Amino acid sequence: MDAYTVVGRIGEGAHGVVVRARHNLTGRLVALKKVPLRRLDHGMPTTALREIKALQQINSQHVMRLLEVFADGAGFVLAFELMLGDLGEMLRDASRPLTRAHVKTYMTMLLSGVAFLHKHNIMHRDLKPANLLISEKGQLKIADLGLCRVFSRRGKRLYSHQVATRWYRAPELLYGARQYREGVDLWAVGCIFGEMINSCPIFPGESDIDQLCVVLQILGTPSEASWPGLAQLPDYRKITFPECQPIPLSQVLPEASQDALDLAKKFLIYCPEKRLPALQALQHPYFFTPPAPCPRSQMPLPPLEKQQPPATQEYNTTFPLSDLAHALHAHLDPVM
Amino acid sequence: MYGSSTQFRSWTFKDEHELKRLRVQANADFIEKFGADMTPEERRQHFLTAEEEHLMVRSYEHSLRDFCKKFRDPRDARIRMLPSAATTAQHYFKRFYIYNSVMDYHPKEILVTCVYLACKIEEFYVTINDFVHNVRGDKKKAIEIILNNELQLTQELQFNLIIHQPFRPVEGLLIDIKTRFPQLHDPERLRLYIEEFLEKVNLTDAILLYAPGQIALAAVTTAVSRLGENLDHYVTDILFPQEQKQHLPVLIEAVRKIKKMVKNTEPPLSDSMRKEIEAKLERCRNQQNNPNSSQYRANYSEWDDEDLPIASSPFSGDVSMGVERIRSPSAY
Repeated sequence: MDAYTVVGRIGEGAHGVVVRARHNLTGRLVALKKVPLRRLDHGMPTTALREIKALQQINSQHVMRLLEVFADGAGFVLAFELMLGDLGEMLRDASRPLTRAHVKTYMTMLLSGVAFLHKHNIMHRDLKPANLLISEKGQLKIADLGLCRVFSRRGKRLYSHQVATRWYRAPELLYGARQYREGVDLWAVGCIFGEMINSCPIFPGESDIDQLCVVLQILGTPSEASWPGLAQLPDYRKITFPECQPIPLSQVLPEASQDALDLAKKFLIYCPEKRLPALQALQHPYFFTPPAPCPRSQMPLPPLEKQQPPATQEYNTTFPLSDLAHALHAHLDPVM
Repeated sequence: MYGSSTQFRSWTFKDEHELKRLRVQANADFIEKFGADMTPEERRQHFLTAEEEHLMVRSYEHSLRDFCKKFRDPRDARIRMLPSAATTAQHYFKRFYIYNSVMDYHPKEILVTCVYLACKIEEFYVTINDFVHNVRGDKKKAIEIILNNELQLTQELQFNLIIHQPFRPVEGLLIDIKTRFPQLHDPERLRLYIEEFLEKVNLTDAILLYAPGQIALAAVTTAVSRLGENLDHYVTDILFPQEQKQHLPVLIEAVRKIKKMVKNTEPPLSDSMRKEIEAKLERCRNQQNNPNSSQYRANYSEWDDEDLPIASSPFSGDVSMGVERIRSPSAY
């Protein structure tokens, strides 16, 4: 830790605080992610160990680079290359909407990163705009491999279904699947693609149940025909929804071109095995029809003035009701 | 890939002399630090020699193997430790004592910590409570020792946690033999001997000196000769066709050395000698790292008072996340 000087705060990662720091010798700016160890617990968190393991084995320009790991006090610190912001910020910045050319370039970079991870048998399991960081050169890089797992091509291993942020969670996870593969990432890629086209999330569920409901309302009720193996999923029989007819995706993504719609459709498929693998997706006609992808050197940069995410708002629930009535009264009768 | 791994870059050593030099250095450093005011004669009386240290590490490698073999999941006695976890633990244990003295960190404590960390890394899931069920003696103390040492261990390993093992190259060789060398009847017969060899090789320095593929070939050829058969034709003509012949002598030499090391894997110490060195170690070990010493207690109770030492670091602050806060999914 002595090798670095902390110069600012970036935010909270999956398992700790992230700060901006300067390496004292080289002057290089980095992002330090501190993983505290709670003693009496199970020691070093498996998630952090998996992240270290995965990052040490891979080297891709579209996956965040781990510069070093070191112990500090009762925890340890991961040093990453410093990034300017994330795709979530870019999407929230209403003053500068992404153009079709931008979206196309982001998709190329996202799919290259995902294809790379999948080639190395790593599933990320938590892809979402906030985990796609943007470098000072406008490059998109996949970050936060804290939930990643090495998957086996034929194994029968069980995994937790409590992964992925809700809006980007694949339907098999929503039905409680414990055996799944890289398809969960491809679903998330489809969601992110839709979100870039629409500038807002396409499946904004409010709870885990609602999430399934939102997906069903758009893609229609799945059946054993459209999704073989559906009935065997752990939570399939626990809940039923009213029968829904699918809505054409062109209504959900009115701004999308024909090619874009076709590509999105190939990710947003119930049956995980049928989703288009990332490497093949890069060959999709979408990338070869106008408008051409934006040259990487002309990609937009995240705003320097950080906008606060709209989320987190706390309401005081212990507010006396009489005060509330009083305020209302004042509005109705300004003379008083 | 092994060729681009930290195992190849940082943890595969040139030869046995280099290993010896580093171990002697670790021993000398400890004596220099803790015996500063002693005469050479006093030092010789008080401290372990590099040779004694090495014998201790060797005999604890045998203990490590036995611990992993006996290991059972208390919830389901049919669940045994994965061979990959045991192998990873052996690597960690050896790596740790290349740069550290036995007198600084007692091998019995590092042993369990290595196995616990290896279980996590090899995805052999076991809780700390279930884990210490397999440790003799005071379970609570064992948990404390393991968790206190875990970070230190990963740091000494320079966070190089991935271990490339010979299991996959062995599978590759078996498949290759089945397809390209049908003269060898039923290669599945080799498995028992291969397993035996791979267990023994973990008790040698070979895993610090040779590539997993070389070790795999040594295991397979040994298994074949145990069956009284011969694999020479496969190795020299099929595995290495004409255009790659120049690599053959290096490989044959490596395999020969690995086999030689595996031959001498008897426990290096008799029980009485081991007891003698253990007794000497209790006297000369670094008391700050001895969980039974008052110094160790004092250090760690200070820790408890502060809760976590990082509380004062720039990382902490307003990071509390109370249940009363409800956040949208995008905020996570």
